[in-house]
Amino acid sequence: MFDPLRLLLIAPSLAVILSAGVSASVANGAPESSTESSPSFLVDVVPILTRYGCNGGGCHGKATGQNGFRLSLLGFEPDFDHVALLREGRGRRVFPGSPDSSLLLSKAAGQVPHGGGTRIQIGSEDYRVLRDWIQAGAPGPRPEEPTLVRVSVSPDRQIVEPNSTLQLKVVAHFSDGRSRDVTDRALFETNLPELAEVNETGELTTNTRGGLFAAMVRFGGTVGVFLGTVPFRGTTIDVQSAVIPETTNTAVRDAASSVNRLLVDQWNRLGVEPSAPADDFEFIRRATIDICGTLPTAEEVTLFSNDKGADKRVRLLDGLLERPSHASWFALKWAAILQNRGRGYSTGKQREGTALFTAWIRDSIAENKPYDRFVTEILTATGSQERVPPAIWYRSVRTTKDYVESIAQSFLGVRIQCAQCHRHPAERWTQADYYSLAAVFARVGRKGGFSDAEVPTSEVLYLKDRGEVTHPRTGEVMTPRPLGGPDFQLSKYDDPRRALAKWMTEKDNPFFARTMVNRMWGHFLQRGIIHPIDDSRSTNPPSNPELLDTLARDFAESGYDVRHLIRVITNSQAYGLNSAPNESNREDLQSYSRFYPRRLPAEVLLDGISQVLAVPTVFPGGPGTFPVGTRAIDLPDENVTSTFLDVFGRPARTTACECERSDEPALAQALELVNSSEIQRKLAHDDGYVARLGGNEESHSNNTVDIFLRVFARKPSSAETETAVDFLKSETDRGEAYRSLVWSLLATNEFMFNH
Amino acid sequence: MLTLTGTSFSCCDGISRRNFLQIGSPVLGLGLADVLRGRAIAEATTTAKGSGKSLIVFWTHGGMSQQDTYDMKPEAPAEYRGMYQPIATSANGITVSERFARQAKVMHHISQVRSVHHENGIHAPSAHWMATGRFGPTLARNAAQHPSFGSVISRSLGARNSHMPPYVAIPKAEAFGYQGAVYLGKAYNPFEVGADPNSKDFKVANLSMPKGLELKSVENRRKLLRKFDTLRRDVDNSGVLEGLDAFKTQALEMVTGDAVRTAFDLSSEDDKLRDRYGRHQYGQSALLARRLVEAGSTCVTINTGYWDHHNDIEPGLETHLPPLDAAIAALVEDLHERGMLNDVMIYCAGEFGRTPLMNGHAGRDHWSNCFTVMLAGGGIKGGQIVGASEKWGGGVKERLTVPLDIYATIFQQLGIPLETHYEDASGRPVSIVGEGSPIRELL
Repeated sequence: MFDPLRLLLIAPSLAVILSAGVSASVANGAPESSTESSPSFLVDVVPILTRYGCNGGGCHGKATGQNGFRLSLLGFEPDFDHVALLREGRGRRVFPGSPDSSLLLSKAAGQVPHGGGTRIQIGSEDYRVLRDWIQAGAPGPRPEEPTLVRVSVSPDRQIVEPNSTLQLKVVAHFSDGRSRDVTDRALFETNLPELAEVNETGELTTNTRGGLFAAMVRFGGTVGVFLGTVPFRGTTIDVQSAVIPETTNTAVRDAASSVNRLLVDQWNRLGVEPSAPADDFEFIRRATIDICGTLPTAEEVTLFSNDKGADKRVRLLDGLLERPSHASWFALKWAAILQNRGRGYSTGKQREGTALFTAWIRDSIAENKPYDRFVTEILTATGSQERVPPAIWYRSVRTTKDYVESIAQSFLGVRIQCAQCHRHPAERWTQADYYSLAAVFARVGRKGGFSDAEVPTSEVLYLKDRGEVTHPRTGEVMTPRPLGGPDFQLSKYDDPRRALAKWMTEKDNPFFARTMVNRMWGHFLQRGIIHPIDDSRSTNPPSNPELLDTLARDFAESGYDVRHLIRVITNSQAYGLNSAPNESNREDLQSYSRFYPRRLPAEVLLDGISQVLAVPTVFPGGPGTFPVGTRAIDLPDENVTSTFLDVFGRPARTTACECERSDEPALAQALELVNSSEIQRKLAHDDGYVARLGGNEESHSNNTVDIFLRVFARKPSSAETETAVDFLKSETDRGEAYRSLVWSLLATNEFMFNH
Repeated sequence: MLTLTGTSFSCCDGISRRNFLQIGSPVLGLGLADVLRGRAIAEATTTAKGSGKSLIVFWTHGGMSQQDTYDMKPEAPAEYRGMYQPIATSANGITVSERFARQAKVMHHISQVRSVHHENGIHAPSAHWMATGRFGPTLARNAAQHPSFGSVISRSLGARNSHMPPYVAIPKAEAFGYQGAVYLGKAYNPFEVGADPNSKDFKVANLSMPKGLELKSVENRRKLLRKFDTLRRDVDNSGVLEGLDAFKTQALEMVTGDAVRTAFDLSSEDDKLRDRYGRHQYGQSALLARRLVEAGSTCVTINTGYWDHHNDIEPGLETHLPPLDAAIAALVEDLHERGMLNDVMIYCAGEFGRTPLMNGHAGRDHWSNCFTVMLAGGGIKGGQIVGASEKWGGGVKERLTVPLDIYATIFQQLGIPLETHYEDASGRPVSIVGEGSPIRELL
């Protein structure tokens, strides 16, 4: 059943857009050009080239064109395209004397052999438009011609019932204030075809699944978005109520309560029932892993489960945040984002620097340095890398491309890579945006340092008197400018990096706080509200925009207090849910109606195995040596040989993307579990936990309880105890029997997942 | 000009509208591939697709001299010509080095591309260029940026038998680290054999149990795992859990079952045949490669080398050329006799060739301006020479061929659609062949 009330909840702007669409001055599709008789290159011709894929990245739109014919990608540069059509190809592409013999038409219509096949039917409306344009002399973009400003989609967001259809309408808006219905010229695509698909005419069809999706609409060089919500069930469920966390910290309580209300609103809107709350065993394991990168010990689990205090979870979380392992674990996370890399430079002299930088990150986290200061200290670092640890960031980040892409991805949550060579196909970013941001770093100077390769270590960073970045296409010298912001007004005495850091860390910056809260939400809840966490764009909308805004506002107002943010997230209702699905939320991947399990990261898994078996990993020095007992989360960089860490997805730290940490399954991982000599060594170690089991006088069932508490942070079920005891009794070699039992538990998904 | 008909050139044809949209625009967020990622990975690496063909690679790490092997210059002055004489072959009009005497007898099955060119002369960047088809890392920042052709094959086709790893490196992946999957995902890295198949106690470390662990214990562990591995599968609908389960089953099967271990067991081969391949690392590696593709692997790379003969090239080549010649020739003969030559492609290449002019140390230096790669079998024409170098070597005289042309040829023969794109870490779709197009003279 369609529920108009629900629509109102999420679509306050719908009415406005609808009326805007209706008010379009020429809504009947008549050509909107200054000479009534001939189609316009900008308004008519280029969108046709885009719609049929002619200027797509797989065909003539790629950097080298296709078969000698090159168009600008997706029609972003119409002037260029006009030259390509008229002046190149020996004038055969467009032939006003005999339009049908123009290669543009004869190739597209398959009249002469065309690698791309037949794309436009002779006699179709689009064929006629191209033909009329050629016949009229193929006029180019005219200076006085209104330009395309944007497209709007109506409706722009709506609840769409499962197995139903919805017609989208696309209106192009021009610089002279006029608008026009271009639905039949636009290109449509949804981001989750298993939820909804959209056909060539803009008709959406939903499937049986529930969830949130977006449809991207492309016309000419612009994009518009429709946001769809498909309810999970046709009937309304009982309204869930938001929980108020049991904490005396009022700032956390207020923020977490707001978060809970927004979560509950969305569950109601989507028709999903959240899973049951996680029990104490699940919660302590989850929280210890997420906050400290460590498994809880059997003693911690027992103490926590016996604790009768109503605020025990709050106390647990507070305690975990104070542990040194919390700083180590988050330092490992940030050292990867900040590309604190030891390998890949053809030099072995990186360790001192990487260790210094990692230690600085760890200290920053241990003292809960406000996030704005943390980032400012990195961005504006000046001086010797031997004395100013955050300056070591500039070792890995050293080219125009590195500066722009690392900043954008790490701190602004934007993947701007595309705009290096052409306008971003799914966002507003242009090459000018890219190179203006690059200009912020044009005066970064480097001197000194020793080097045994092209990349020196121990450089000294300073502000050069001059330095500029030019636009690769226009040759224009770029003025430093932040993404989407105004040019910086700077004198030669100002460090543009300071201006950038100041712009970023203003409370109303549209990117900075949002990116961090999304990153942290993704850390604890497995999936960012914007997913992937560093890919914010209009065409990749947040699954719960109000939630993201609330968290970001609260984080900025807290003075960028990271621990406050972690407390808000971990005290939220979503973080306390069970991972087992119920009937309504089985397919939910976006609204956090249950705890989405994720694999233990490589370092946590290795440390966890060492902890369970009470045998530390011996890390080879690489450059440098590590004392016995060094944990994987404490390693200074990734240049420490470990097959285990590599096969289980340790990131190489070559980009700022957290996606480098892989949780993909692979055969090599399974083989590592089955027969690695490292695991076998730890199982069989004389001083290890399993040797103690093999030699102690305890009953098999008592031992089994202890094993389960250690491995899974829970007690065994009676069936599990029986299985274990039966097996242990049936074997003659007690030691080998325990080795097999413990191994089989370490290889389970329950152990290898955080759930 | 490229022909515009048939399969030798394709732009967007044959692609569904949906694919076409993905190629024409960046992918909007994540689709089904993401939702069921893990399961897709497990299936992709264990189910067969494509033409059913496979590839065996001889990788000449360090750079083999083209002028002393396939592309002789007998008319050139002595300092260019080198020490070997050309000999006639079974292919009309084609000559090769006297050190390739055994390949000479099967040259009607073997083709050469003598005009391969790229624009770097340093080992690591060049190795990346040849292993991936693309320039990327520099000497100073040498992390891999693109997937190797073997990983592309692994991801696109998987193995032809679910027990077998789809992509294998003998004995190990090459030291620069460019034979891996990078953004395609760890599941598509090569499975490393880890030992010299010619050694007396040849054993695959990953398939042999660690010291002190008996098969019986592994059986126990497998049974116990089945009983305890009870985490509800539906807690994770990303497919990662399901994929991991599939790999656990496969790994236990590989270690305890016969199928995979048999494939790696050279002792079941006839001694005479083993002798024909040669009792050396290259020969036994080639024989092992044949057994692996027979058992269902799709790409097997034999890393030979080190061929970096800056000094005294002659003694260097004297140790490398005869075993390489035996290995390639025996493989061609053996595959032909078994009726498999049409289904198994053979490819021999390295990061570059070597300078046409000998240096002052009786060696040859790095040369990427124009060098030769060898291709045979897999349905390509034998006995062909594609392209030509200049009179004394040096530059390309005819038909410049870039690395991606070679990979377009290989992918096409293996049945991988050339319009396939994979997303890099930033979500940008990257074509598997880029600007490359199949070498039509070989098809």
